[in-house]
Amino acid sequence: MKQRHIQHLYWRAGFGIGLKKINQLKSKSKNEIIKNLFYDASKVNLLQLDLSEFNFIKNKSPKALKVEMGEEAYRKLRQKSQRKVRDLNYAWLERLTEPSSILREKMTLFWSNVFVCRDNHIFHIQHFNNTLRKNALGNFRELVKKIAKEASMSKYLNNRQNRKKSPNENFARELMELFTLGIGNYTEQDIKESARAFTGWSFKLNGDFVLRKKQHDSGIKTFFDKSGYFDGDDIIDLILEKKQCARFICDKVYRYFVNPIVDESHLDEITSIFYKDYDINNLMMHIFSAKWFYNDKNIGVKIKSPVELLVGIRRVVPVTFMKKNQLNYLQKMMGQVLLYPENVSGWKGGKNWIDSNTLMFRMKLASLILNDAVINLEEKGAFEDSFNKYYNKERKRNKYIKTIKNWAFFIKNHLNLKPNELRDLLILSKLDKDTAVLLDELKVTSNKDYCIQIMSIPEYQLC
Amino acid sequence: MKRRDFIKRSSLASGLFFVPNFIKNIESESINYLGFKKLVIIQLSGGNDGLNSIIPFTNDVYYKNRPQISIKKNNLIKATDELGFHKSLAPLKNLYDEGYLSIINNVGYPNPNRSHFRSTDIWQTASDSNQYLDTGWLGRYIEKYGKIPYSGIEIDDSLSLIMKGKNMNGIATKNPRTLFSNTQTPYFKKVLKYQSDQHLSEHNLGYLYKTMIEARSSAKYIYETSKTYKSNLEYPNNPFGKQLKTTAEFINSHLESKVYYASMGGFDTHANQFNRQDRLLSTFSSAMDVFVKDLKQNNTFKDTLILVFSEFGRRVQQNGAGGTDHGAANNVYIIGENLKKKGFYNNAPDLLSLDKNGDLIHTVDFRSIYASILDKWLEIDDVSILNKTFRKLDFI
Repeated sequence: MKQRHIQHLYWRAGFGIGLKKINQLKSKSKNEIIKNLFYDASKVNLLQLDLSEFNFIKNKSPKALKVEMGEEAYRKLRQKSQRKVRDLNYAWLERLTEPSSILREKMTLFWSNVFVCRDNHIFHIQHFNNTLRKNALGNFRELVKKIAKEASMSKYLNNRQNRKKSPNENFARELMELFTLGIGNYTEQDIKESARAFTGWSFKLNGDFVLRKKQHDSGIKTFFDKSGYFDGDDIIDLILEKKQCARFICDKVYRYFVNPIVDESHLDEITSIFYKDYDINNLMMHIFSAKWFYNDKNIGVKIKSPVELLVGIRRVVPVTFMKKNQLNYLQKMMGQVLLYPENVSGWKGGKNWIDSNTLMFRMKLASLILNDAVINLEEKGAFEDSFNKYYNKERKRNKYIKTIKNWAFFIKNHLNLKPNELRDLLILSKLDKDTAVLLDELKVTSNKDYCIQIMSIPEYQLC
Repeated sequence: MKRRDFIKRSSLASGLFFVPNFIKNIESESINYLGFKKLVIIQLSGGNDGLNSIIPFTNDVYYKNRPQISIKKNNLIKATDELGFHKSLAPLKNLYDEGYLSIINNVGYPNPNRSHFRSTDIWQTASDSNQYLDTGWLGRYIEKYGKIPYSGIEIDDSLSLIMKGKNMNGIATKNPRTLFSNTQTPYFKKVLKYQSDQHLSEHNLGYLYKTMIEARSSAKYIYETSKTYKSNLEYPNNPFGKQLKTTAEFINSHLESKVYYASMGGFDTHANQFNRQDRLLSTFSSAMDVFVKDLKQNNTFKDTLILVFSEFGRRVQQNGAGGTDHGAANNVYIIGENLKKKGFYNNAPDLLSLDKNGDLIHTVDFRSIYASILDKWLEIDDVSILNKTFRKLDFI
């Protein structure tokens, strides 16, 4: 397989690829390479923090804990457990930089922006995240049904407040609008009826799903012109009966993995495949095997998400962050903080990542984490912050991102590369003609410097 | 420039961005054809408690619901027979007395959302409660009418949704020198030095280069223009004071920018609200006081309209921690020299008819305020920005 095609595949199915791996794969056929990719992805490595210090709160209600510990101690404990969500964010980012994290992790990241959810209960959100990971290449039907039963989702979209006597339509609405069909493919009446089917869907203190029978409306519902004693699972089945559901998901998949500009005939093709059995593995296998996936017009044309950009750099030059909260800073400045989506519709991606401010920051990212460049910009405070905390980052002007750079790894792998070889390794996009002249005229003093330079041109923003 | 000429002009410049000599065009661009009026929007982030800011001091329901945190009748500045200002809003009361303030009560939207994130999105994008838009209402203004990023400036280091358009965004800076120096970093500068814009593609790569070019010229313009004027008034020495000072310097140096946005944090007063809000309102109003003076002194107040909002108000009933939880409708302040309706625009909130959460029910859709500002102040077609017709109010 051609190097450029291997790179393309690994950027879309993962977070880029190192020279060593390319050299291992070059002599292999496309089929072999793809088979390997899926074989590696068949293993599930859950993301789990050590939460033993919080185990005792697992089966207790906030009320009981308040009585037991006192209000103040409970509040502190709560804050401490909420900070663990940030730790989960760091652990997730670290996970993405591991060489073994390719397709399954990329799919998990993709699904987390379809089934968007936010929760500061560390046990619940960790479970949610791992449900995405376990089912990332499984069956979409199972995935939707499991997500609908997750405690974090139940809270985020108010499904636990959805009761027979006073239905809450939030989950039913977003299920169709954002998770499966897209706006305009159902009626307000469909939302009302399906919300009834999800009444009583709740969870126990430990996060396990429970159907509260007394709150559940077991009557006849009429949904998509069919009537029956439907429950939530039936509703999901009825939604998936619509080809539009397969198309809606395939459209997202296409934009994320292939090209932000959709080729309708390719979309039709993958929709038909996905609609047959909603098997995610088959869908992705088909896409990565398709000849059109390797068309020039699909290569190097996607704007990297902030996470792809950050992880991609760290895969070329391994970097350890000395201050974990600086990872949070970088994510915030670029507009994507994992586990903290701004709303249920998720990150729009593509051009939406880019404005004057984020672009300047993104183009400086390599210098910041690889070259100790100074940065004097501050992230926004949070809504919950006090006035002083909201602005308190203000005082620390001119900061460095404190990292340990493993240049030895880079040099070992790239020592003998000629400048144009290094450039082709890092850049998949077509080069702007003027910038190409700039690169040609540049005196390359070392591959180390050249690497940072290459990572600082606009073309590196694309994959 | 007249509106008709502008339309002519904008139809020439509209459509795809890669007109020939894009760089030259952007550098000689002027947006003064949009007139000289400025709009400054301040968000009191976290949800300011409007009921304790403008107090219904004859209302028993108010006092019953807030045994610990209500503002006593003898501890406020009376404005009408039933409404008074929080003592820390004294400077605002002065503006009120001078006829420079209009307070619109009960502003909100149907099916209010009580999440900071979501409700801020709704206010910033001017969407319905169940609609997700990925552009802000000022962003759409910038894209459609301003056409250069610096037609909208956020006083911060990163850009909020309110300033984002589809293919064109506003720009954020709280320090023009820093912004400028970030366009002068070796790689950024070098890439642009070589850029002739002869080969810019239509898609993502072209978009990146176009954004770089715009960033550079906006940063340069803002920095070079605004350094001609330094405010000689003393602003309160805190970050919000600094934000307003920067805004005043932008306006008074006659930057062509049309819309400004800044957010002041800290208003999420779930606990110990009494003293906290006291300090917050004082910080807010003392900075606003100097800001208005600064504009007046420079004869720019007449061309500036200030809108102050929060993503939501707070619950009528206080909570157990001496604070208030997230609510719904709230009051909005409009500050300017040529207000049509001075003082209170409408009736005080009705504390007897609350929604099922115990929150105020809105009587004015916030987008009616936006529509009025777009139509009567910025003098453009409000529907082209809000994509819907809203009843216009006559405060300006």
